[in-house]
Amino acid sequence: MRKKTGLGKKKELDAQLNLTPFIDLLSTCVCFLLITAVWIEIGTVEVKQSHGTSANQEKKETFDLDLVFKDPTEMSLNLKKNGKRVQSLKVKAENFEDMLVQLNQTIIGQVLTFKKKSIEIATATVTPRSSVNYGSLISTLDVLRKNRIVNIGVLTAGGN
Amino acid sequence: MILNHSMVAADAFEKHLVNRKRKKNWTLKAAGFTLMLTSMVDMFSMLVVFLLQTFSSSPEILLTKGVELPNSVTPSMVREAPVLAISSDGNIYLDQMLVGLTKDISKKPNELLKKLNKIKSSWSKSHTSPFTGEINLQADREIQSTVVAQIMGILTSSQFQSIELAVVGHR
Repeated sequence: MRKKTGLGKKKELDAQLNLTPFIDLLSTCVCFLLITAVWIEIGTVEVKQSHGTSANQEKKETFDLDLVFKDPTEMSLNLKKNGKRVQSLKVKAENFEDMLVQLNQTIIGQVLTFKKKSIEIATATVTPRSSVNYGSLISTLDVLRKNRIVNIGVLTAGGN
Repeated sequence: MILNHSMVAADAFEKHLVNRKRKKNWTLKAAGFTLMLTSMVDMFSMLVVFLLQTFSSSPEILLTKGVELPNSVTPSMVREAPVLAISSDGNIYLDQMLVGLTKDISKKPNELLKKLNKIKSSWSKSHTSPFTGEINLQADREIQSTVVAQIMGILTSSQFQSIELAVVGHR
């Protein structure tokens, strides 16, 4: 290290940082991270089909929810216990977004608190319709998942 | 100062000399530019921090062409599994390989079932654990939900019961 004249054997306080390897490292890091960067975050919505799977095994003592699309703005909800319908509800709005809001309110207010008691939904089954597109179906599943209903199935037959 | 001097200089030769000197000075200035290292290092550091924050080590699945995934606010992490894609033009792809048209496959699913059985048999060869039945399903957001349901029915009949519907995450 360079010593200052007139200061005896004391070392200089200002150390010089070698910037070249530092910039090299940073450029390498930037290149690597830019190449491996994920710009579109792809996630998944898990669906457990209820035909012969473990989704059906938890039916005792818990409630099940059936959601049937009539069209993109109308849906009927059937709350079932041990396969028997205990409550039937209807959700209707002017557009799909409003219908989702109403569905969310209905689930919170009338489904998850059934007869003033909080209940748990074991399985939810959604029956699609040809007038409802796949994006709308996913949005409906989103509403269920937001309300901690995660065991969801999609009815695969007779939904036309 | 130089400009004033050149203006003051009366003689043409003197003017020429002044101009030559000025030009010489310009070339010297141009050759001796300095790189602002501090701001460059700052920028690099900020880029590295930003990219490190967005870096994810979770498994990624290839997005099939012609598939615009729906948005979701409750996405889960992607798991490594075979990818079945239904594009907006009605084609079905299994692991990026064309299987056929949706309307044909929903009537005669033999081709798809054969390919799914191949995946199952290769799974049993490479794994000691029982078959989990996981599959990633990518479908265009504009296609009919009943079409997706029909394909899901075929998957369920072929023991692929844990279906992961691929979405674009918006938390």
